[in-house]
Amino acid sequence: MEPIVPPFLPVFVAALLLPLLGRRLGHAVAGLVTFAMVPYVWLVDSGAHFTEFGLFGFETVIFNVDPFSTLMGLIFAFIGAVGVLYSYYSDAEAIQTAFALTYVASSLGAVFGGDWLTLVFFWELMAVTSTLLVWHYGGKAVRAGFRYAVLHGIGGTLFLGAVIWHFAEAGTFLFASVPGGPESAGLAGPVAPVLAALGIGVNVGFVGLHAWLPDTYPRPHIAASVFLCVFTTKTGVYGLYRVFPEHGSVAVAYMGGIMAVFGATMALFQNDMRRLLSYHIQSQVGYMVAGVGIGSALAQAGAFAHVFNHILYKGLLFMTAGVVIYRTGEESLKKLGGLAREMPITAGAFTVAALSIAGFPGFNGFVSKGIVIAASHYDFQGVVHIAGRTGLEWLLLIGGVGTFMSFIKFGYYAFFHGEYEGSVKDANRGQSVAMVTVAALCVFFGVADGALFSLLPFDVTDKAVVSHVYHTYTVSHVAEGVALAVAGLIGFGLVKKPLSGLGRVPDIDRLYNPATFYGTRYLVVGVTELYARVDDAAVALAKFSVRTAKDPDAAIARATGREEVDTKAGIDRSLILLLATLVAAMALLLV
Amino acid sequence: MSDLPAMLVAFPMLFSVVALLAGLVRQDTGWPVAVVATAVQVVAAAVLADRAFEETVTYVVGGFTAPYGIELVVDGLSATMALLVAVISLAVLAYSRVAGPRTNAFYAVYLLLVGGLTGMSITGDIFNMYVFLEITGLAAYALVASGEGGRSALAALKYLIVGTVGASLFLLGIGYAYIATGTLNMNDLSAQLAEVGHTDPLVQASFALLVVGLFVKVAVFPLHAWQPDAYAGAPDSVSAFISALVSTVAAYALIRIVYTVFTVEFLQANPAAQSLLAAGAVVSIVFGSVLAVAQTEIKRTLAYSSVSQFGLVVGAVAVANETAMIGATVQLVGHAVMKGGLFLTAGLIATATGARAVDDYEGLIQRLPLGAGVFGVLALAMVGVPPAVGFVGKWYIVLGAVEAEAWPLVVVILASTLLTLAYFARVLERIFFRDPDGSGVDESQRHSSANQNAERSGDVDVSALSTGMQMTIVVAALAAVGLGMLAFEYGQMLQPTVAELLA
Repeated sequence: MEPIVPPFLPVFVAALLLPLLGRRLGHAVAGLVTFAMVPYVWLVDSGAHFTEFGLFGFETVIFNVDPFSTLMGLIFAFIGAVGVLYSYYSDAEAIQTAFALTYVASSLGAVFGGDWLTLVFFWELMAVTSTLLVWHYGGKAVRAGFRYAVLHGIGGTLFLGAVIWHFAEAGTFLFASVPGGPESAGLAGPVAPVLAALGIGVNVGFVGLHAWLPDTYPRPHIAASVFLCVFTTKTGVYGLYRVFPEHGSVAVAYMGGIMAVFGATMALFQNDMRRLLSYHIQSQVGYMVAGVGIGSALAQAGAFAHVFNHILYKGLLFMTAGVVIYRTGEESLKKLGGLAREMPITAGAFTVAALSIAGFPGFNGFVSKGIVIAASHYDFQGVVHIAGRTGLEWLLLIGGVGTFMSFIKFGYYAFFHGEYEGSVKDANRGQSVAMVTVAALCVFFGVADGALFSLLPFDVTDKAVVSHVYHTYTVSHVAEGVALAVAGLIGFGLVKKPLSGLGRVPDIDRLYNPATFYGTRYLVVGVTELYARVDDAAVALAKFSVRTAKDPDAAIARATGREEVDTKAGIDRSLILLLATLVAAMALLLV
Repeated sequence: MSDLPAMLVAFPMLFSVVALLAGLVRQDTGWPVAVVATAVQVVAAAVLADRAFEETVTYVVGGFTAPYGIELVVDGLSATMALLVAVISLAVLAYSRVAGPRTNAFYAVYLLLVGGLTGMSITGDIFNMYVFLEITGLAAYALVASGEGGRSALAALKYLIVGTVGASLFLLGIGYAYIATGTLNMNDLSAQLAEVGHTDPLVQASFALLVVGLFVKVAVFPLHAWQPDAYAGAPDSVSAFISALVSTVAAYALIRIVYTVFTVEFLQANPAAQSLLAAGAVVSIVFGSVLAVAQTEIKRTLAYSSVSQFGLVVGAVAVANETAMIGATVQLVGHAVMKGGLFLTAGLIATATGARAVDDYEGLIQRLPLGAGVFGVLALAMVGVPPAVGFVGKWYIVLGAVEAEAWPLVVVILASTLLTLAYFARVLERIFFRDPDGSGVDESQRHSSANQNAERSGDVDVSALSTGMQMTIVVAALAAVGLGMLAFEYGQMLQPTVAELLA
């Protein structure tokens, strides 16, 4: 199909119309328009691009289709539509969903941009729209939103700096795959990729830059969290791929492995449901980052497969957590329990999602996580090798165990542990439809792995394309999945007791929030004081100059200590001055 | 019309006598005579300038050929000065018909001054230049004295004594040059001086005397002491006339003496000579501006501003390259228009409102919008806001200084823009941003001057302003901006003349 319009535009228009049409009609129209983008994106031919629209007077491509963009666009549009449905049935205000859709639209703009400028433009727009989405909820979300905005402002600026650096080197913003683009893909020069990795690192939650994630995502409206958990981090993975499109980066790969372990471990310590899930975003994104960092066809296919699957089950997890909060008003696992009997649909959806994210055989997470781990085994020349596996592979496997443990914890405390006092209604109809649809897809892509493979940019079953042909259901692979689950179960049994006595575990933001606060305060005080001193000095100098100029006689009198001085030259003094000048001139010339 | 150069000098002088004689027959006939004379002068100067820009015009006076006889030489630079003198004197007449002075004696001296200035501009003989310098000087002293009261008389006396000593030094310098070479013709002198040797003490002494003598006439700091008194003490028309022309033509004479008589080779042989000029320039620019800031009287502020502005011209002379010389010429013409216009505007404001002190200008924009507006335009032009002519002059001079890599001078010239802004900002702030009731003044001051201000603001007498007065200052303001547009083209026209001058 020929491209008609960049996909972000209809969604954006729908977002603008949503508050005007009224809540019911607005949500219906917006949901349909967003969902319509799924077949549209699917059908538009790869290679299609729009060049007519120049951004800020530069040559840019606002709509560019390649397999990576198509995959991102498909899942973004789908989860966007599901999110609208869920929002409507979770009593979200129309204006909030409108903000959410502008956020969806800017994400679609980012992944379909054919050049760096368009990408970074929509990237910044995402930061703005997502901040608005957080802010709209008010309360605690405002301060978290502010921290979020500051951090994303810094990240976006670093990325923008990288893009400008690239432009200075390459002379064009276009991607290499676009006609007229430069010869080599990725960002040119030695500095730009480093800057970009740091800037994108904020978005994808590199360890150390990740604190905004668990800080922000638990705070806004439950439906807002469903949107938030999807777009920022995944667009980050996409951006990271654009920066390292060919050979990856060993450092980025290891960062991915560390994220997987760190996120899963931190998640284990959490009792706030959405905070736990937020750490799992970091953990799961770690697999994708590792895939991009390894950089082979298999790894990139695995990374994007994991993006696709992750959006499904993570959206589903936030939906189930949202339903629990919606029905009980409780955020903490410590105050919940025994909900499986009260909310069977939610509990079922949660189980599917948890098994998916943990990578249990038969669920979609098993397929895509397996590809990344296979890539880390076959395609990665790491520095550390232990027991026939690379260090990265070990990190990813340990992250898998941690994931199992924390979801066993979540499920155990929320749904199975003890009895819930009083009765709770299950998810309402709309919420149930949204959850069951996504849960079904999680299972579908887990069982029919060929359907998932057909969406990927590289065919992982073709020997000509990837270094190692990937088979999902081999004995060793299934055994590996089950072993991880068993290890998780045993691990949870071991740590259950000590965990329950654990208070809030501090994260890195404990360190840098006060550091930023006091640092900024001292900076402001310092600058103000310095300015005051300079100001005093300037005013004193100006006063002195004016006084001297106004009354030079008195100034000279003050300086020389004499009573009265007359600087005005009378006739006699004029002549003396004249003669003195003449003598000086003569002396200058003749001597 | 081959006698045109001689006519240009003789004509105003002749009419000077006519004006005096006509006065015997009938009072108040001086003005019409002067208008006729200067109008003819403008036409004649324009015709001559047209020829001079094609090719240098020379004229031998009385059939005695150079180098023995007196020669008139009109090149682009001379023609510019002659035309400037003619135009400004006509413009000032338009102002002075109502503003006065009105006596025939005044107009007789006025025309004499025009003749003297024109003579200085076009003569090719150094002693002849001295004669015209004295005619100019004497006429100027007399004009300053034409004001009422003791202040004018004292100012004129100071001007007379200091100016005469300066002229005497100039004469001494001529004497030294004559002793060294035996000739008085400028072109001949330059060749003969080179033969004598540029490092000869006689030649060096002659240079020092001539330059210091002219420094007095140009009013370079610290030889400027006569100038603020004279400008402030003279009647408004006279202030405008002499501030626009007398120092300007003296600066022209400095250019002639330095480049036509002593030549660039002399400056190269005597770095000290160049230092002398540069030092005069820097000191003038800085101290002229600082003193201008310190003044309380408008006309004295404008007078010290001239000290600073002529510092720029002297600086350009010190730089000694084509770009700077074009800048100097543009600056001379521009300054004449702007400073003449400013003095006339100050006179007009004083006539209408009685305001002569800087503090009296508070809220002038509300009381006398025309005067305030023109003053603002001319002041900003003087500061060097593009596209006004003040910008073009400074631009060329700075460019020349950069080409010559005279960095200290570049810094001072650029700083001069700020300094100029400093003293005009004081005035402009009062004109445009304060209320006539004196808000922004200290409480105590306001109290004491409240009555005075009330009187003053009610005292605007527009009927005292003639159409001629108003037209003149408006034309000056338009010219200050308009000349800026033409100045780059004029610079191109002047290029051959300047190239020859520096050859």
